[in-house]
Amino acid sequence: MQKIFLKWLFLLVFSAFILTFATSYLIQTNQSQKVGLDLIELKITDVKSQLNTTQQNLKSIKQMTDSVALLKARFFAKMVYYNPKILTNQAKLEKVKEFLDVDEVHVSDKKGILIASIPHKYKGFDMSLTKQTKPFMAAITNPKFELAQDPMLRGANDGIFQYAGVARIETPGIVEIGFKPERLEEATKLADIRNISEGFRIGKSGSIIIIKNDKIISSGITKTNDLKDLEKDIINFSKKPHKSFKIKYDGTKYVCLSDNWNGYTIVGILPASEMYLSRNSVVKSLIIVNFILFAIIFILIFILLQRVVISAIYKVNNSLGKITDGDLNEKVDVKNSEEFEMLSDGINTTVDALKRAIDAETKRLDTELELARSIQHSALPNVFPPYPDHDEFEIYAIMDTAKEVGGDFYDFFFIDSDHFAFLIADVSGKGIPAALFMMTSKTLIKNLAKTGLTPEEIITKTNKQICKTNEQGFFVTVFLCVLELSTGKLICVNAGHNPPLIKQSKGEFEYFACEPNLVVGVMGGIDYTSCETQLNPGDSIFLYTDGITEALNKDKELYGEKRLINTLNLTKGINISAENILAEVKSDVQSFTNEEPQADDITMLALKYKGFTKKDSIVLGANTENYTKLLDWLNEKCDEAEIQSSYKNKLNVAVEEIFVNVSNYAYPPKEGDVEITFKINDGKQVEMQFVDAGVPYNPLEKKDPDITLGVEDRPIGGLGIFMVKNYVDEINYVYENGKNILTIKMVIQ
Amino acid sequence: MEITSKSIGPTLVVKAEGRIDTMTATEYGTGINDLLDDNDTEIKELVLDFSKIDYISSIGLRVMLELQKRMNNQGSMKLINVIPSVMEIFKMTGFTNILTIE
Repeated sequence: MQKIFLKWLFLLVFSAFILTFATSYLIQTNQSQKVGLDLIELKITDVKSQLNTTQQNLKSIKQMTDSVALLKARFFAKMVYYNPKILTNQAKLEKVKEFLDVDEVHVSDKKGILIASIPHKYKGFDMSLTKQTKPFMAAITNPKFELAQDPMLRGANDGIFQYAGVARIETPGIVEIGFKPERLEEATKLADIRNISEGFRIGKSGSIIIIKNDKIISSGITKTNDLKDLEKDIINFSKKPHKSFKIKYDGTKYVCLSDNWNGYTIVGILPASEMYLSRNSVVKSLIIVNFILFAIIFILIFILLQRVVISAIYKVNNSLGKITDGDLNEKVDVKNSEEFEMLSDGINTTVDALKRAIDAETKRLDTELELARSIQHSALPNVFPPYPDHDEFEIYAIMDTAKEVGGDFYDFFFIDSDHFAFLIADVSGKGIPAALFMMTSKTLIKNLAKTGLTPEEIITKTNKQICKTNEQGFFVTVFLCVLELSTGKLICVNAGHNPPLIKQSKGEFEYFACEPNLVVGVMGGIDYTSCETQLNPGDSIFLYTDGITEALNKDKELYGEKRLINTLNLTKGINISAENILAEVKSDVQSFTNEEPQADDITMLALKYKGFTKKDSIVLGANTENYTKLLDWLNEKCDEAEIQSSYKNKLNVAVEEIFVNVSNYAYPPKEGDVEITFKINDGKQVEMQFVDAGVPYNPLEKKDPDITLGVEDRPIGGLGIFMVKNYVDEINYVYENGKNILTIKMVIQ
Repeated sequence: MEITSKSIGPTLVVKAEGRIDTMTATEYGTGINDLLDDNDTEIKELVLDFSKIDYISSIGLRVMLELQKRMNNQGSMKLINVIPSVMEIFKMTGFTNILTIE
């Protein structure tokens, strides 16, 4: 944005700069040319006027010399007429010459042959023979003829010479005099056009050139004498008057102007560099001034826009960037102009609306997920200890779901009184569909297990059933174990799950090598196999999902199996409960991942086998008639357990009272059975249970009788349960699966 | 249940042996009531010898309550030679306040 803007701003200012510069340049060029040409023209006019003056002077001087020359020639003719002897007397002729103040005197006969001559050497010269003398021949036939010739060069060093002649008076012939017209010569010298140019300078180094008959006759150029090239160029250009043109001579460019005058062509030349000197210096200053000016304009505009627009846009953009990155609490706060204030408010309102919408949606989703999660959790057994009446084993399980509802689950339940099933499973996928799939799998396994199938049959059938209806393509890994409580025999089926860790005789946790089968839900027709091991009292098994071993810390390291084994084996040699095994693992995983969010469900289950406690039971019709049988059985058990008679007595009272109570109230008027179990816990406590399927009745709810009343006020019943409560150490009633279950415990030491 | 009795004038001493429980309480109660009814002279004092009674349950207590009520009408009743375990039950149930135990 800023770059593009700068680019355009620069282009604009730069164009303005160029335009201004070009305009100034053109104007200055034009001006310089005009000034230059005017200068040249002025000089040419001067040259013309000097030429004119020179020519005029020359003309008048010549006229004067001519008339003097003719006067002398006529006078000489008169002298010859009056005194012809001088023609034959050289000395007298010399005197006449002296008198006339001329350099030569000549007289010819009627044929034009010189009969008398000074210098003497010309005597006998035929005047009709030379170009100079020939014009005088007309005097022979014309007695009125007279001629003053133009002065002419005679010889290299003699300067100019002029002849004048008239006809002879007494006889046809020619009288001629010749002399050096010194004044004329001086005047001519003064009027010499060749010197005119030297006297003129145009500007500093411009010159005047004068051309006549296509030849430079005068030039102010002093650099060189070789004017041939210049001559050619100038002559070509200078045909027309007042025509300016340009030439290049000796490496210098000249601007020229020519004018014709009286057969002369006068050319003024001025070096272009000189002509444009002022322009160049003006333009130079102009460039500097313009440059500074436009730079200032550029910077000012830039700063202004930066302040007003660009910084604002950047600010807005910065805020928008934060918003895009998810920070919906960001507020756009650009208030340096009304437009930006409107923009800020608009964005803020939109983001607020968006935020509200997202919050509402999140809340809705959260509620849904929370619901799904609570359904999932509530579907799993989550009351611990789940079987307080069973001390053959301890079981504990934890499921910590990740943010999303996951597909992990565990389950445990009694198949029958001697077979306890527990399992852990991991459904592929997450969210509500996975949770539903999990529910289906869990229910299927439990229901099939309850029908008395072997563990491998349970999984085989579960798989078959799931494959039939599995449209979404989920699958589930399962590790199912069935423990025979009386023997500690453990049969497991591994359906593609990570193997559990087991602590047996060695006292250390190690991986339980149970051959894996295919995961459940992929291929319907396969038969699952099981593996078997023996649990002895004190042995434990730890089932988990890969959420534990694949937990990541902030360096993206996996928690891993090695760490898990090490943690579990920290409990080595300690009589640790199933609950604490899980607590150890959980806290180690948490300290490993630290603040990192949990990526996957963490589910684990530990079972500790404590060994089978012998348990006896008797089933009797709930009828007081059977009391004797019960009594015999009880006494037998008490004797087997070597219970002291005082405890035995109390136990007798308790058992009798409960049995009578059940007989009187559970079934009548119908009949039914009551199952009574007897067992010794750790050799120091008797535990007995009475289970009947009669009407639900909790005898513990009954109020204790008032034992302070007198004979007459005493009610007849109600003492039995009161006595039981007084004699036993624990009494507990539940109604479960349609059965009244009353449990009593009595310490017998 | 074996019940023996001896009457000296208006005093009847009954000695039973065994348990007074669900199976025997009725027999014990009926037995004593019969003795009281069948005696030639009205019994003013009933003495129950508990030396051989080693067990009593709530139904036995009920019998004791009924006997005490009857004897309150026609004289008095007392228990003798009660063994500790039985005595404990009497104490626990507040029967020590109702019965006369020597």
